[in-house]
Amino acid sequence: MFKGIFSIKKSLPYVGIFVTLLILPPIIPRFYIYILAVIFVTALLAMSLNMVVGHGGLFQFHHGAFYGVGAYTVALILTKTSLPLWVGFIAGPFAAALAGLLIGIFCVRLTRLYFGMLQISLGSLLWALVFRWYSLTGGDDGIHGIPMPPFISSQNSAYYFILIVLVICLIVMYLILKSPFGVTLRAIRDNPERCEAIGINVRRHQLIGIVIATFFAGISGVLFVLLEGSVFPDLLFWVYSLEIFIMCLLGGWFTFAGPIIGAAIMVSLRTFVGIYTDYWTLVLGILLILLIFFLPEGVWGYIVEKFGSRAGEAVEEENK
Amino acid sequence: MLRVKEIHKSFDDFRAVNGANLHVDKGTLVAVIGPNGAGKTTLFNLITGQLKPDKGEIVFNGKDISKFSPYRICRKGIARSFQIANIFPRLTVFRNIQVSVLSQQGKSTRLFRPARNLAVEETERILESVGLSDKAGNTAGSLAHGDQRTLEIAIALGNKPELLILDEPTAGMSPEETTATMELIKRLAESRGLTILFCEHDMKVVFSVAQSIMVMHQGHSIIQAKPDEVRKNQAVQDAYLGGAE
Amino acid sequence: METGQTITFAAFANQFLVGLSRAMILFIVSSGMSFVLGVLRVPNVAHGSLYMIGAFSAFSISTFLGGGTMGFWVALILSPFVVALVSLIAERALFCHLYEREHLMLLLFTFALMLILGDLVKLTWGAEYRSFMAPLTFRGSIPVLGSSFPKYNLFLLVVGPLVAIGLWLFTNKTKIGKIARAAAVDREMVGAMGINVSWVFAFAFVLGCFLAGLGGALVAPTISIAIGMDHDIIMEAFLIVTIGGLGNMWGAMLGSLIFGLTLSFGVLFLPQFAIAFPYIAVGVILIWRPTGMLKSVW
Repeated sequence: MFKGIFSIKKSLPYVGIFVTLLILPPIIPRFYIYILAVIFVTALLAMSLNMVVGHGGLFQFHHGAFYGVGAYTVALILTKTSLPLWVGFIAGPFAAALAGLLIGIFCVRLTRLYFGMLQISLGSLLWALVFRWYSLTGGDDGIHGIPMPPFISSQNSAYYFILIVLVICLIVMYLILKSPFGVTLRAIRDNPERCEAIGINVRRHQLIGIVIATFFAGISGVLFVLLEGSVFPDLLFWVYSLEIFIMCLLGGWFTFAGPIIGAAIMVSLRTFVGIYTDYWTLVLGILLILLIFFLPEGVWGYIVEKFGSRAGEAVEEENK
Repeated sequence: MLRVKEIHKSFDDFRAVNGANLHVDKGTLVAVIGPNGAGKTTLFNLITGQLKPDKGEIVFNGKDISKFSPYRICRKGIARSFQIANIFPRLTVFRNIQVSVLSQQGKSTRLFRPARNLAVEETERILESVGLSDKAGNTAGSLAHGDQRTLEIAIALGNKPELLILDEPTAGMSPEETTATMELIKRLAESRGLTILFCEHDMKVVFSVAQSIMVMHQGHSIIQAKPDEVRKNQAVQDAYLGGAE
Repeated sequence: METGQTITFAAFANQFLVGLSRAMILFIVSSGMSFVLGVLRVPNVAHGSLYMIGAFSAFSISTFLGGGTMGFWVALILSPFVVALVSLIAERALFCHLYEREHLMLLLFTFALMLILGDLVKLTWGAEYRSFMAPLTFRGSIPVLGSSFPKYNLFLLVVGPLVAIGLWLFTNKTKIGKIARAAAVDREMVGAMGINVSWVFAFAFVLGCFLAGLGGALVAPTISIAIGMDHDIIMEAFLIVTIGGLGNMWGAMLGSLIFGLTLSFGVLFLPQFAIAFPYIAVGVILIWRPTGMLKSVW
């Protein structure tokens, strides 16, 4: 069914990276394993956002809200009910996708900046609810010490679990972006008006795109809970959403793998600059301005453009 | 096949289309002409649903389509090109057409099949028929203006339309390109059995190609007839010489 | 929860006035944002940071002058200009080079500016809470409709409409104001008239930021000034501008009133969820009228 899409030669480097990541845990210090796991979770989140931003052309400004919904769903199921673990893990992404669907229905009626603004306000409504509903969500304290069986939450097994889920998600996302749906989504990004005129139901496509993207955001939220064992309202705060947005741009939003690079840069910056100074956002701000002025296509976008054959449609050329 | 009856559209106080009538019979080439601002583009936008008429009927194959959204009108069998090159600039030429073919085949929402194996033959056939095969892998945004206009028509062909609407297909082209494009349109009409409705500035082109001509002036249609009759018509001459009203 | 308690008319009137005076601050800040949005078509994410700078510099100026009546007035007048200067530097040094670029880049730039300004404030003023007092004339309360109402809030109720009138006169009666409005509607035409569009943009940006600074200076005596106050206000201003209609000054007024009053009545009826009330109002309004209540300028 998928023949011809994964060429063995081209996917070798990626398999190499995967194998390297698999054998890392016993070799490098625990702290770095943790940071890598954080990068994986964040990368999945950024990748999910980029499906609708870089490939769909939507101003999805409040993606963090869906990440938060996924995380809170699993956290609440594990702390407030006696349902088994896997129910929470499955419910998280679906709850996020449902939130994406509900908010998306209203948002896709609008375009561009209005879309983004409506999403920010509806997303902030979710944030305000989580922030204030002390009896359910613990308010601004969040929920801590979420029980997880050790076979999955010990650091190394969490690392492996997250890595494997990430790889599966990336493969699925890649297939989706290569599919007729993905191609059509990019056509809508380029020219929604023309798409209407060739018989494409633009709003429905955008809505499906949002549901898929928020589903993956929900998976990322679940992985976050697995890794950290806690949730807090900041996950749904608009500032974090904009940070995810920046990861996409930083890495290169017209490429497939760009957001992973963006997430890795952001997480490392926050961690390692944070060790030396309290002013890591200052560094981030300056970096962002440099990016805007000198690398508007993003880091990975720049690399693809320099060394790839045809940068215009980078996702068509890359292989996984 | 297509019948437009007493259609009206105004923007605030400006009456862009003010009582236009038009009929297009199957298998014909129909042209709409008129001075700048006569409402030709607005009329086309009304037919293909980009704008909704205030009043009037648009009947296509026996169905009133005046309230349909653009994508539904397209699925009924009307495809169009735009006056400015309206393409997908970041996609390759091949993909530009493939998107349209996929849409026509109802495969746009397929999620788990690689697009590269779908709708390939049809896309390649269209590429060949408009002469863009050798540029299939180029990014559409990097094409020359003339090629972008051709691609524009090719995208519309991807929908396998019964009726193809072309809004000034030769705008901004050199005389040679204009001739080539008109040749292409004639050839397509014959080989694919297309019905074509177009508007055009170049009168020589219009009178040599069209089988029926509709003349618009200040938002309403003056006449629709065979080229010879239009040429002789007094009202048309007045409109073009600025004598009317 | 305090439901079940009877709500007296006095409490009602009091919350109404509190909401109203809060709306005045919101209006001053969001009208500045709306103005920038109208002319430059960029939601200025750094707007809240400028508001925060306004509050902090009002604190510094007032403290420097000994905190008296004199200090308050000088702080109130000077700090908006401090903010305007900061924004002018940012605009001329960096922002103005981006006007030809993709729109998203402008938005991102303002986000970067927000990150930078936020940390610069932390560097300059530290992370502690700061506060200073309004002058004696405005301290204490006076009885209004059976409840006691802070005098300073009454002062805000006067200033808000004054700013609205001033802004209206400015955009409708002065030449530069008219040019800015014209640029909002049709920038090509303004450019064709031989006016330097870049400077019109600079002017609009600085004026918008000036209003943010004014809002910050005005709110300063009523709150504890601290890092993080930028995040809250920017969200609120953003939503107010959206429900009002992008770039519409009266829309900003209407939106501010809705935001301020729903919060106040939320406090009265369901204190635990008071913060959610304005968001619900915004959600309802946007679902009902996705492009805002009043006509947006673009």
